[in-house]
Amino acid sequence: MSSATWQFPEGLRFSSFRHWARARILRWARKRQGRDSRITRLVSRRIYILPTAVGLVFVLMTFTMLLGSMNYNNNLSFVLTFLLVSLGFVSMHQCQRNLVGLEVAFAGVEPVFAGQSAEFRIAITNHSKTRRPHLQLYVEGTKSRIDDLEPGESRVLHLEIATSRRGILSLPRFGIRTLFPFELFRAWAWLHMDLDALVYPKPADDVSEPPPTQSAHGHRQHDARGEEDFAGLRRYHAGDSPRHVAWKAFARSGDLLSKQFSGADTSSQWFDFDQVTGPDVERRLSVLARWIVDADRTQQDYDLRMPGQEFKPAHGERHRHRCLEALATFRMDKPTQSGATT
Amino acid sequence: MRRRTGTDGSLLASLPWTLAALAFSVLPHIQFLPFWVTAIFLSCSGWRWMVERKRWRLPPAWFRIVLAMVCFIGVLVSYESVSGVGPGSALLAVMAALKLLETRQRRDQFVLLFISIFLIMASLLREQFLWSLPYLIAGVLFTMTAWLRMSDARKVPIGISVRTGARLVMYAAPLMIAMWIFFPRIATPFWAVPIDSSASSGLSDRMSPGDISSLSQSNAVAFRVKFRDTMPPPHKRYWRGLVLNRFNGRTWTGSEPTFSRDRRKDIEFEGDPVDYQVTLEPTRQQWIFALDIPYDADLDRTFMDSGHQLARMQPVDQRIVYNATSYPDFRMSNNLNEFWRNRFTDLPADTNQRTTRLAREMRDEAGSNETFINNVLRMFNREEFYYTLEPPLLGGNPVDEFLFNTRRGFCEHFASSFAVMMRAAGIPSRIVLGYQGGEVNPMGEYLTVRQADAHAWTEVWLRGRGWYRVDPTAAVAPERIEMGRYGAMLDGIGESWGLTAPSQWAYQVEMAWDAMNAKWNEWILAYGPENQHRFMRWLGMDEPDWRQMMLTLIAISVALITNVSLHLKLRYRPPRKDEAARLYRKFISASGVELHEGESPLAYSSRLGVEKADISVAATNITCLYLDARYGPPDPAGIPELRIAVSGFPGGR
Repeated sequence: MSSATWQFPEGLRFSSFRHWARARILRWARKRQGRDSRITRLVSRRIYILPTAVGLVFVLMTFTMLLGSMNYNNNLSFVLTFLLVSLGFVSMHQCQRNLVGLEVAFAGVEPVFAGQSAEFRIAITNHSKTRRPHLQLYVEGTKSRIDDLEPGESRVLHLEIATSRRGILSLPRFGIRTLFPFELFRAWAWLHMDLDALVYPKPADDVSEPPPTQSAHGHRQHDARGEEDFAGLRRYHAGDSPRHVAWKAFARSGDLLSKQFSGADTSSQWFDFDQVTGPDVERRLSVLARWIVDADRTQQDYDLRMPGQEFKPAHGERHRHRCLEALATFRMDKPTQSGATT
Repeated sequence: MRRRTGTDGSLLASLPWTLAALAFSVLPHIQFLPFWVTAIFLSCSGWRWMVERKRWRLPPAWFRIVLAMVCFIGVLVSYESVSGVGPGSALLAVMAALKLLETRQRRDQFVLLFISIFLIMASLLREQFLWSLPYLIAGVLFTMTAWLRMSDARKVPIGISVRTGARLVMYAAPLMIAMWIFFPRIATPFWAVPIDSSASSGLSDRMSPGDISSLSQSNAVAFRVKFRDTMPPPHKRYWRGLVLNRFNGRTWTGSEPTFSRDRRKDIEFEGDPVDYQVTLEPTRQQWIFALDIPYDADLDRTFMDSGHQLARMQPVDQRIVYNATSYPDFRMSNNLNEFWRNRFTDLPADTNQRTTRLAREMRDEAGSNETFINNVLRMFNREEFYYTLEPPLLGGNPVDEFLFNTRRGFCEHFASSFAVMMRAAGIPSRIVLGYQGGEVNPMGEYLTVRQADAHAWTEVWLRGRGWYRVDPTAAVAPERIEMGRYGAMLDGIGESWGLTAPSQWAYQVEMAWDAMNAKWNEWILAYGPENQHRFMRWLGMDEPDWRQMMLTLIAISVALITNVSLHLKLRYRPPRKDEAARLYRKFISASGVELHEGESPLAYSSRLGVEKADISVAATNITCLYLDARYGPPDPAGIPELRIAVSGFPGGR
């Protein structure tokens, strides 16, 4: 209990006081703990613990039983009562110990389009000789599944956070908690790893006009799903779409080969921010995102011109990401990649 | 139309254990519960289990509400009350059954487990035996295992749940023991709800010879006595209970115990006192039993009533232990005034006429009261009276019928008819209920007095002599008094009374069992304020009070909890760092050949094979094990195998 702090109980949710208090406590914890590295071992001084609602009922029950035992001076019901009280104390320590020594590491997050959920992958590793059951990651509004860790085991848990706007989704803090053994206590630790996820603009659904073409040839002979014309295999390069990897060949020979399609590099599309018409910046970014996604699907070369930034014609995962990243982090007044828009 | 869906089967892993824990908690109640409560509990449990297995639907809300109301009314009708252990446990069982029918989620089972704990508690309030402690520990283990399974996210092997539960209970046990010893016990109850008014055991406060008496068949223990020095002989072991002084022609009754001024002044104590310790089983009555005649008992709120019987302010609801002093030889020389003499010679005029006539004739013949008493006793002894524990029932004039027709009976019949004859002749007399005898347990050097040892005798008052004891049963069946009921039973005399002797083997087992129970009662169950004080003084506390005990308790608890915390810390420590490398270094130093800078294990091994051919096989083996353990896929057996190989390594020469 030495490391425990008073936290406004979670069950009471009727006043803004709670929000205020919670914010203060979170600020205090952040200040106290500082920024965490991406791989953090939980030490006992940063683990907090409080009884749960079930725990409070348990306290009430044992108190009633104690009164009953005292009233009738019944020694065996004293035994029962004290056994339960002791189990309560033991479970408090057990609950806290279930987190101490656990390693929490950031294991990456993939960029997503606005509207999708960003999946922060957090690896938790049990370095001890004992099983650690009932572990769960959480942030406000979402939580991961509950998982157990065998001795020496490492598992990746997902924190899915809904996105609504493009930009950089920052996760300043998440928690890991446990209710083991009897759900009488909740022990938790806050981690401040300052994680960021990139959120691409949501591709516009209702783009009726075809993307403007600057290339003289190639556009007509290739419709939107033109991947039928298989032209051969070549060695896999980083950035090739996994969908184009010849998995069968990989299974046979162990070499990663990419399928080549004829016409994929014969045409090139030119996407220019200034040429896109739309009511506002977000709409224009959204349209550009749609074009990039579609062009990438057809393995066509495309380039992107943003105010103060230009990407040469190319295709592939890497090119797609760089372009979409530019859209995600775009700012009208300051046309660089820095700064979050969320 | 509302869509109804069945259960999703998500409780399949936890529900059986919750049901088992509940059933285990209901088990000791079954013999006390009305049949229908058990039936409802069992059928709801079975139903709920089938619902989960077959993905059926749960019953609709109206059904549950109707069932709840029916059950509640049923309990009210069965018990005519809702307080006390009986109706309480019935309500808990019914609540569990009803809750089962609306258990949808994992967390609903919390309520069931809380009910399970309360049911265990209720069974302890009702009765406490030697097996109650293992039972309650098993119950807690069961409940806590079910609890763990309920809160498990994944399906965990049951072995792990049981082991975790047992481990936590083990951690909790020392703390529980410390709390149990040092938590201050109080003497005054907060409220006086009788635990179970129907379950009054032991002597009743009335006596109707001729009615059915089941007490004489009960082998239950009334109390156990340990004597400080010597045990008085059997014929002096009269355990005084309560005094009956009113007779309505059929039934003798006493009066409520009333506090009166120090009654010891009435008694002349003679001879040597006897000191002893009594462990009295709960009687739910106010009477305290002591050797005739008691002088002192170190029990709080206990007084001597006008009939020289010991009584307590409140019923004895729990086992109590008290030390008492008695004088087997005594004279009660109180003066009986006219009013009391009339009370003690009062007889209803219209019943038992023949007895009254006979008594008056015999009194006139005898000439003196003493001769008359002896003549009546001689009549019992000489004429055809039989002592039996299975007497015939008697009708409207029970004393007449007994004396002139049936002539078969036990202590109650003889005491009652003797007292009636005394009263008819104008001699004040009264009945004393208590116990006589008791069996000596050779294994514990103590005396066990059972309900079957219940006895009734007579006290008569003679001018100049005061009250003194006359036991007419002794005139009829002297063995009953001289040897005690149990002695007579062992001897075979008791067979004519309806008692069969137990086999030698059964006798040994019974004595051992009783000795264990005696210790258990004395040390565990009777640990109340008095015993706690005694124990604290023995521990070295001069004036133990609740503050001192609480402080001691807190200090011990802190130490014990710290200990648990350290234990857990050790449990969760990481395995020793790079155990494989440590073992490998040990192997190198044992081989006596230095490892060159940058030399790989395989290169070292082959060089060793050249330099020391005799150990090359063992060295290769160890090298392979080391490489596997350190760089191979995780294998829990890797390190232990390497350790064994290294410790068995012969070493270089």
